[in-house]
Amino acid sequence: MSRAYACIISDDAKRDEQILLAVAGEFSYAVQRMDDGVLFDIRGLEKLVGGPKEIARRIVAKLKENDLECRVAVADTTETAVLLARENRSTDRAAFPSDIGHLPLDDLEIDGDALGVLYDLGIGSVRDLLQIPREDLVRRYGQEIAKVLDVVTRKKARPLAPNVRETSAAWKYDLDFPVDDFEQLIFVVNRGLDNLLGHAAHDALSTEQLDITFKLRDKTEKKYEIKTSFPTLEKNFWLKLINLRIALAPPESEIMSVRVVAHFTRPRPDQRGLYAVSRPEPESLLLTLNKIRKLVGEENVGVPVLVDERSARPFSLDPEAMPKGKERIEVRSEHSVVALSYFEPPVAADVWIKDNRLSFLKTQHFGGRVVEYSGVWRAGSMWWDKRWSLEEWDVEVENHGVYRLAKTESEWLITGEYD
Amino acid sequence: MRNLSLVKSLFHLKEEQQHSDEVLLASIGLSFTRGALAEIAGDASSGKISLSLTLLAKLTRAGEICALVDATNSFDPCSAETAGVALENLLWVRCGGDIEKAFMAADLLVQAKGFGAIWLNLSGLSKPLLRYVPKTYWYRFRNRIKETPTLFLVTAETAVVGPASQQSFLFSRERAVWSGRGRFKLLREFQLSFHSKKEFQGRPARTRAEFVYAGDV
Repeated sequence: MSRAYACIISDDAKRDEQILLAVAGEFSYAVQRMDDGVLFDIRGLEKLVGGPKEIARRIVAKLKENDLECRVAVADTTETAVLLARENRSTDRAAFPSDIGHLPLDDLEIDGDALGVLYDLGIGSVRDLLQIPREDLVRRYGQEIAKVLDVVTRKKARPLAPNVRETSAAWKYDLDFPVDDFEQLIFVVNRGLDNLLGHAAHDALSTEQLDITFKLRDKTEKKYEIKTSFPTLEKNFWLKLINLRIALAPPESEIMSVRVVAHFTRPRPDQRGLYAVSRPEPESLLLTLNKIRKLVGEENVGVPVLVDERSARPFSLDPEAMPKGKERIEVRSEHSVVALSYFEPPVAADVWIKDNRLSFLKTQHFGGRVVEYSGVWRAGSMWWDKRWSLEEWDVEVENHGVYRLAKTESEWLITGEYD
Repeated sequence: MRNLSLVKSLFHLKEEQQHSDEVLLASIGLSFTRGALAEIAGDASSGKISLSLTLLAKLTRAGEICALVDATNSFDPCSAETAGVALENLLWVRCGGDIEKAFMAADLLVQAKGFGAIWLNLSGLSKPLLRYVPKTYWYRFRNRIKETPTLFLVTAETAVVGPASQQSFLFSRERAVWSGRGRFKLLREFQLSFHSKKEFQGRPARTRAEFVYAGDV
């Protein structure tokens, strides 16, 4: 069987889409979704299943198993298969190219006037049409009829255009002996990634999420969802990232089996603008972030975010975010602004007050006369459980810096330094 | 051959446009060299953080990704936003006062390559502790970032980098300017002076940093 295609046509293809794709997927990797059904390549099945008739019989049987009443055809060109399936009156039996001679001309894409003339001449079926010399028909009715003749004689046909792709692929490995350290399994996962990433590359796809599931000796499962913000097929990058993520929260028991699922997505465009500024490669940045997370803790690495709430420190660190590298197009004059630098933890201070004015300040690190100050700035909120209240001053200490001084209910604190 | 010469000139144009060799802070009259170590030292309230934020603002607003290694968790994102830093382009690493982690994190960032600037802020760490930092660290950083677009900036209360730095500035506050009278005063600006530790004959230069209140923005 050099070329062979099967077509399944349904009266309600939208409703039956998933089943049709599943049935087609059982016979072929190259599946084309159409408005009224599916078309798929069945080349190479003759050794596994049998000839076209046997393949067609199995397709019909599969459809019956799923309670679907669909019309099926098998042919050696795509367009003939589609034509035969659409015109097949039976749902119990597939149509074959041998049936094409019986098809009425109404089923072909022939212009209405031409069709009328052909019927007047007593030409009502494909078999009758094929009795007329091709040149005469083409001379009389033009290239349109030539295309129709190509379909029915199976001389030329458009290629199959597979448009159904897998969205994920899985790989599994059962170990002979339990392993307690994931690093010993890196070479095994390496092989799995070879398969999965090769699969994605073959379909011109990429991946930005890998799910890794370990079956553990204590009969539990440990699952890791490893996502990136960009698709990549760099195997070494994925291996390093997997190793770092698993090192952050290793499995509690010995590993019995490994399952890796790759979720496919479109590959990322690699072209940068001529005037683009330099920035770390996404793979390199993500790996570095994970290494630093391992070093200082996940909650201490990320992007600073201002929080729109009334709190003593209205900002946070978003550990999930990565720097975007997005340019801000706005005109802004360059000038330096006095910045606050927090003391973590705040430094306890002794404060002397004279004539209702701050006069002297002393901490374990420095002390001196208060030269100038502004305040008091009262701040606080009664926001549910985050109740807080502060009185603050900006204080310049002789021969030292300018600080933010705060008074809580019981003590004076230096919370930061203006620098 | 004529076509080849055209390609060559365009190639150079691309290289030049990707990043200039220097980051110029025109308002202060300072420029920092990429691919090298720069150091800003100064006592309390000497303006070293203000200047660093001005530099970060310039780079992050242009879309460059910068990193801050915050040795003592002292960074205030509100001040950075006021200074014009594009926070979404900034990677913040908090080290909780652990100097060893700060240096290891900086090392990892340097290895990643491609950052516009890496700012290692050692302010708040005591001078004796800073003296324990082996000089080899600085040479390691210097060699790693050579011929990359990264500017490695170190701020501390005392100069720590030594000969490994290409630029080293010592900042000091000349005065803090307050407005208002009596009890109703407001901090307005710092008048600062700085001089390069690498140019022995150079005169100190002056600059200022404004204090911005919420209503001023």
